[in-house]
Amino acid sequence: MPELSQLTSLLTNRDLDRLARLRLKVSRRFTNRGRGEHLGVKGGTSTEFCDYRDYAPGDDVRFVDWNIFARIQRPYLKQFHQEEELHVALLIDASRSMLFEDKLPLARRFAAALGVLGLRGGEKVSAYALGGVSPDRLTPGRGRSAQGKLFAFLENIEGGGRTTIDRGIEDFLRRHSGRGAAVILSDFLTEGDLRRAFNLLHNAGLEIFAVQLLGPSELAPEIAGDLRFVDSETEAHLDISSAGDLLALYHEYRAAHEARLSALCAQRAGRFLSISSAEPFERVVFDVMRRRGWIM
Amino acid sequence: MLPGFTSLTSAWLLALLAPLIAFYFLKLKRPRVAIPSLVLWRQVLNDQRVNSPFQRFKRNILLFLQILVLLLLVLAAMQPFLRREAARARRLPVLIDVSASMGALDHPRGSARLDEVKRRLRERIDALLPDQEMCLVAFGKTARRLTPFTNNHRELREALDSLAVEDVPSDLEEALRLAQALGRSEPFDRVLLLSDGNIPSQANFELPFQIDFQKTDPAGSNFGIVAFNARRAPGGHWQVFVQLAGSTNAESTSGTLELRQQDKVIAHEDVALTRGSNPRLAFDLAGGPGALLEARLSLHDFDSLAADDAAWLTLPASRPLAVFVPEKMADYRHALAALEDVNVFPQSGGVSPAAFDLVITDREEDLVLPALVRCSVGIVPADARSLVTVESKNSQAIDWRRDSPLLQHVSLRDVVFMDQPVTRSGAYEDALAQLGYEVIAQGEHGPLMLEKHAGDTLNVSLLFHTDRSTLPYRVGFPIFVSNLVQAALLQSGLAEAEAPRTGVLTAEGFAPNAACTIEGPADYRRTVQADEQGRLSGVPAPRAGEYVMTSSGTPPRRIGVSLLSPSETSLAAVDQLQFNDQLTVTAATAPVKTDRTLWWGIALAAFLALLVEWWWFQRRVA
Repeated sequence: MPELSQLTSLLTNRDLDRLARLRLKVSRRFTNRGRGEHLGVKGGTSTEFCDYRDYAPGDDVRFVDWNIFARIQRPYLKQFHQEEELHVALLIDASRSMLFEDKLPLARRFAAALGVLGLRGGEKVSAYALGGVSPDRLTPGRGRSAQGKLFAFLENIEGGGRTTIDRGIEDFLRRHSGRGAAVILSDFLTEGDLRRAFNLLHNAGLEIFAVQLLGPSELAPEIAGDLRFVDSETEAHLDISSAGDLLALYHEYRAAHEARLSALCAQRAGRFLSISSAEPFERVVFDVMRRRGWIM
Repeated sequence: MLPGFTSLTSAWLLALLAPLIAFYFLKLKRPRVAIPSLVLWRQVLNDQRVNSPFQRFKRNILLFLQILVLLLLVLAAMQPFLRREAARARRLPVLIDVSASMGALDHPRGSARLDEVKRRLRERIDALLPDQEMCLVAFGKTARRLTPFTNNHRELREALDSLAVEDVPSDLEEALRLAQALGRSEPFDRVLLLSDGNIPSQANFELPFQIDFQKTDPAGSNFGIVAFNARRAPGGHWQVFVQLAGSTNAESTSGTLELRQQDKVIAHEDVALTRGSNPRLAFDLAGGPGALLEARLSLHDFDSLAADDAAWLTLPASRPLAVFVPEKMADYRHALAALEDVNVFPQSGGVSPAAFDLVITDREEDLVLPALVRCSVGIVPADARSLVTVESKNSQAIDWRRDSPLLQHVSLRDVVFMDQPVTRSGAYEDALAQLGYEVIAQGEHGPLMLEKHAGDTLNVSLLFHTDRSTLPYRVGFPIFVSNLVQAALLQSGLAEAEAPRTGVLTAEGFAPNAACTIEGPADYRRTVQADEQGRLSGVPAPRAGEYVMTSSGTPPRRIGVSLLSPSETSLAAVDQLQFNDQLTVTAATAPVKTDRTLWWGIALAAFLALLVEWWWFQRRVA
């Protein structure tokens, strides 16, 4: 049987089929004013009842609940969920640190998978390469027609930039409009102020989906002796003596860093997931993310 | 016990600490490892736990190990030692007894006394500090310096290893004199004497230094041959005598004494030996051509010293004594006719030999005949004529040497001499003595009889003619002639034979200036040159056994030398040495504790620290 051609190098056709049956599960319903499949809470024109409120002059009398008026002689207006469109922003960290141990290729694949979920769910999807050297933005698109552009953009992301993730988020927010979800794919190894960046995301009405990608050497470094560490982004160096003795402490700080990131996300109704770049892509998307409730 | 330092100046090497620390921090070669971000590692390094003093130490443990290695190496270079003697000798001559008794074993398959001394001395050499020098002197019958004063351990050990027992009695005075001579050029205060104690207890020597006398443990039981000689017996036979003796701690035992000739047993006798017994065994052997006899004692029990279990004796060939007497000296011929095994020449129809054993003549021209003993009658020796003249006057003997072998049992009392030797005025007996003459009979105004040894020749001069005296009519005359014959027998070696002792070989009969190769026991081989008389002298023969002398033009000659030393066989050990100045030195059996060097232990610790440093540097996470 002849092999079918792949739509993209990022996802197999089988993965695309499986993704077609899934949706991104966003817990917050702050959506755009435009229509979408996600329901808004400020009231809209959908058939799904939401609430009552007092009638005010100028309101559309078609939404007055006449049964209540008949019983209590006061007009109340019925409100319905507004079916609003969700803007899914895919933020891919393309800094130099992501070039280690295939973190950037994996980030591209995750971004492609989550973008496909958004597009198949009828949402508006945009993508940003933070700190990269290639074209850094994919204008929002929706529907299956935008899928090809998304894949092309992701495939062409080149790493090697020096911008930190927090500054990249701030740059993103200056160009972004619309509420929805911000999927951030990064190693989050930055000395910048992530709290401020996450606050800005939250205030912009974006639910944070933070995916931390770490390589095996970052999760379980095998080092010993006296070493000189060189930072891939800043070229700064740090001399370490008896590195083997410091591994336990390193693991403590790495776990604390993850916990802090997770807390930053949780405090802003966001989600956090830390995975190893060595983990199989399919397992993370179709198992871990489903069990964590990221997708359904 | 406070440690001392031999090379305190090496402490300046501690200055190397500065470059060591500087290089550690400035030139530390760290492998570069590129990582995505330093964020987490910076946090780790800023952690209080990492910056605690102990953790700081752990981080710099390589530096501390390197400092430790350097400190240990510097300490080793300073060469510390533990002082274990009250006084340290900077120069120490060591007198090592290598006499025969040092070859005695303490028990069967045990070690020789010399080996015990070597073991002790090796320890001493190993403990020699860099500022100490040692000089090894070996002594037996003579003393010789093995090494100069040196600190070279290898040289000292090699000299010590090459040391072997000599089958000779010991002579401590020789060693002390050599040590005294060494002290003139390189002064020292103490001398170490290593011996089994079998040395003369009294030494005629004034000690200019202290002696540390260390004695080894006593050897085991020993019996050996202490005398081996032969005497000519009537009928051309030889009476061979062998005397045995034992050590002071000898246990009763038994054995067999064998006499061998060319590896063939010609006589043997079983002997029972007890402590203190000195049995003398006699064997009667038929005379004949010259032979080399070997006496060997075989005991049924342990015998600690092998060197005295064998002895060698050369029996000369039996032959009549050749005597030259002019025919007109009938009185002498008559006296000689009564003696056995004496051929008097000239004989009618007989051929005179080329050399004589004894020449008795009143003619000066006969005195040039080759002979071992010459007796001139009525002739004043040429070299003494300026001192003595003979006058024709009656005289008598005033005195004579009754202990002289020539005048044994000869009385000159009332003998009338019609010749009167007169000493010239101003000439004294000392002048004759300076010419080598010994006056054995003194007349009224001068010597009557003179005796002079010239090499192997004995010259007897009767300054009076016996024909002009009443001596031939006295009973002493044939006795005097017999004494002359005995002297000739002794001189020619026909009367008795005695086993030569170890020490120095002498032999004669070689071609003048001929090269002679001598081979002996224990791979002994030496080539010496005979003198103008064809004699070998001064050839060392330190080991008992047979020596074969080979020279072109003469057949190989075999000679045996033996220990034959009652003192060495007795293995008696003295506990004290008495010197001239009433100074007594007491022997110590325990070895003197030497200063103990510590550098090697410290160097070992430095090496171990280096290994730990290497391991720490190279270790990896499992």
